[in-house]
Amino acid sequence: MYPRPIPETARSARAAYIALVVGVLILWLLPLVTVMLTSLRSFEEVMAGNYWGWPKSFNFIENYTAVFKQTALARYFINSLIITLPSVVGVLVLATLTGYVLSRHRFAGNRLVFALFVGGNFLPAQIMMIPVRDLMVSLGFYDTYFALIIFHTAFQTGFATLFMRNFIAALPDELFQAARAEGASPWQTLWHVVVPLIRPALAALAILTFTFVWNDYFWAIVLTQSDAVKPVTAGLNNLRGEWVSAWNLVAAATIMVAIPPVAMFFLMQRHFIAGLTMGAVKG
Amino acid sequence: MASVEIQNVEKHYGGFHALKDVSLTIDEGEFIVMVGPSGCGKSTLLKTIAGLETVTSGRLQIKGRDVTHMEPGDRGIAMVFQSYALYPHMTVEENMGFGLRMAKRPKAEIDAAVARAAQILRLEEQLQKYPKQLSGGQRQRVAIGRAITRSPDVFLFDEPLSNLDAALRTQMRVELSTLHDRLGSTMIYVTHDQVEAMTMASRIVVLNGGRIEQVGAPLDLYTNPVNLFVAGFLGAPRMNFVAGHVTSASGKAASVTCGDSLKVDFVNLVEAPAVGAAVTVGVRPEKLRIGNQATGPCFPARVRLTEYLGRETIVYADAGALTTSGSDSGTGVFTVQIGDIQPFMPDAPVTIGFDTDAAYLFASDGKTLSAAKPVTKI
Repeated sequence: MYPRPIPETARSARAAYIALVVGVLILWLLPLVTVMLTSLRSFEEVMAGNYWGWPKSFNFIENYTAVFKQTALARYFINSLIITLPSVVGVLVLATLTGYVLSRHRFAGNRLVFALFVGGNFLPAQIMMIPVRDLMVSLGFYDTYFALIIFHTAFQTGFATLFMRNFIAALPDELFQAARAEGASPWQTLWHVVVPLIRPALAALAILTFTFVWNDYFWAIVLTQSDAVKPVTAGLNNLRGEWVSAWNLVAAATIMVAIPPVAMFFLMQRHFIAGLTMGAVKG
Repeated sequence: MASVEIQNVEKHYGGFHALKDVSLTIDEGEFIVMVGPSGCGKSTLLKTIAGLETVTSGRLQIKGRDVTHMEPGDRGIAMVFQSYALYPHMTVEENMGFGLRMAKRPKAEIDAAVARAAQILRLEEQLQKYPKQLSGGQRQRVAIGRAITRSPDVFLFDEPLSNLDAALRTQMRVELSTLHDRLGSTMIYVTHDQVEAMTMASRIVVLNGGRIEQVGAPLDLYTNPVNLFVAGFLGAPRMNFVAGHVTSASGKAASVTCGDSLKVDFVNLVEAPAVGAAVTVGVRPEKLRIGNQATGPCFPARVRLTEYLGRETIVYADAGALTTSGSDSGTGVFTVQIGDIQPFMPDAPVTIGFDTDAAYLFASDGKTLSAAKPVTKI
């Protein structure tokens, strides 16, 4: 069974198909649209219970500036960047190194090391909650940026290594033999041959890791406490008032928080080039 | 001083014995071509010389230095791969200068070396292009250029022309021979194409099952193969082999009968086989005579198929119970090569014969028993 085009003549089937697609699309996008609309409403309108209707007034500038003026969102934003960017860089560097070694260098225990990297991914994160928190407390990193940077770097490197190892293993063997025959050291081969050729993989991993670390909520509340360190995900929760919540501001903040991963995707898009190894070997 | 000296090299891959006690001395400036069927160990031997594979035991010397345990980059070799192995993200210029750049040579030296290689290989126009913008032949020239820039002691080629089409292959063959004359460097070339071996080599090394079967000048190997394998491997179309047995032997002479219709009397054998021993008689297709010209030992046959190649005619003839073994066509028919165009009717009865002097006799273990034939000196 595979998707087959519905013939033009089957009108009822076609109509049903279009209706289904549109229905799923609306269901999928409704929450997003609602959040977007809510971020434009006034506080009074939300209080009055207009959640789904068309906004009576568009308070775009008011709400979005209020988010930065009345709440600590800017601080959380900077915290998130301070945590996410080093984690992404750390993961990319470590995964490139481990992937290169595991895919191109034969040594005793290669498979075991690889299995450990892969196997680590199967552990549910939650069971590590207490040990990781205790570890960070005894290291003196609890409630600092380092706690989250170290944890995310370590935890994401497992999957990233699997990804990189397989990508580098798929590069033509002869390129590595040629580099070796020309006297390139393993480091030179990594820098001059491997890194330029794995750009698409690096871009994809950067997006994945960035999104994951940026969106992480669980570890943010496990490993941080103070507003000075909290990333946006945990910070968003703080925006809810004790007695009454300004949902229009929470919605605006949510939209702001969602922007960086999307921006990341567009930034990295130009690196997704098919056939980067074209012309390397006859294939 | 020998350029490359291979001493008793053994190579095991797990349980597979890839190279069996290989020893070979290669002189300065020689063009050595290693040939053999796939899996014979020729590429393994080349990679062992390059240092891309380690040896299990034995010694390797290049220009008198023991390189057995050296990294490829320190051995003074440069390698050209079948798949070109160009770095796709670098221009032609950067590709050719890669080795020197990695060795941190001064820029002026790199530029000069690249310019020289580009001039030799007529790549001056392509220097700023990327590999994907080049044709197959140009890519392979860049790969050769990359080898030239490092001015290695030994060039290693791993089936460099196998990915090119037939016309380009001929052209590159000539270019490589010219390049060898011009540079005068030692070159070791691996191929499974025996035409490349015959045309380019100063000496051919025939490998089979990880062992060197024979080493020698192309015409020596062609005219005087030491065994049945070498006789069958060199020459296209292949030599006709017919199984027979020794009916009488005295001194250095022996009579061999094949089937019911063919009897060959060999004289001056290297060593006489025992009466009744199973032997193989071999005759090259161009040494078989057909029709009126058939003299010497002969047998009747019927024409199965005729190929007119313009300057020659190849006749496949069926001699009934008298069958050949291991022929190109995969059937038991005889292959006859005629130096001009002669028409043959299908199924026409013909007589095929040959001079006993042109025939080879092989013992049951494949060893050549017939006397060495005179080789045209070139």
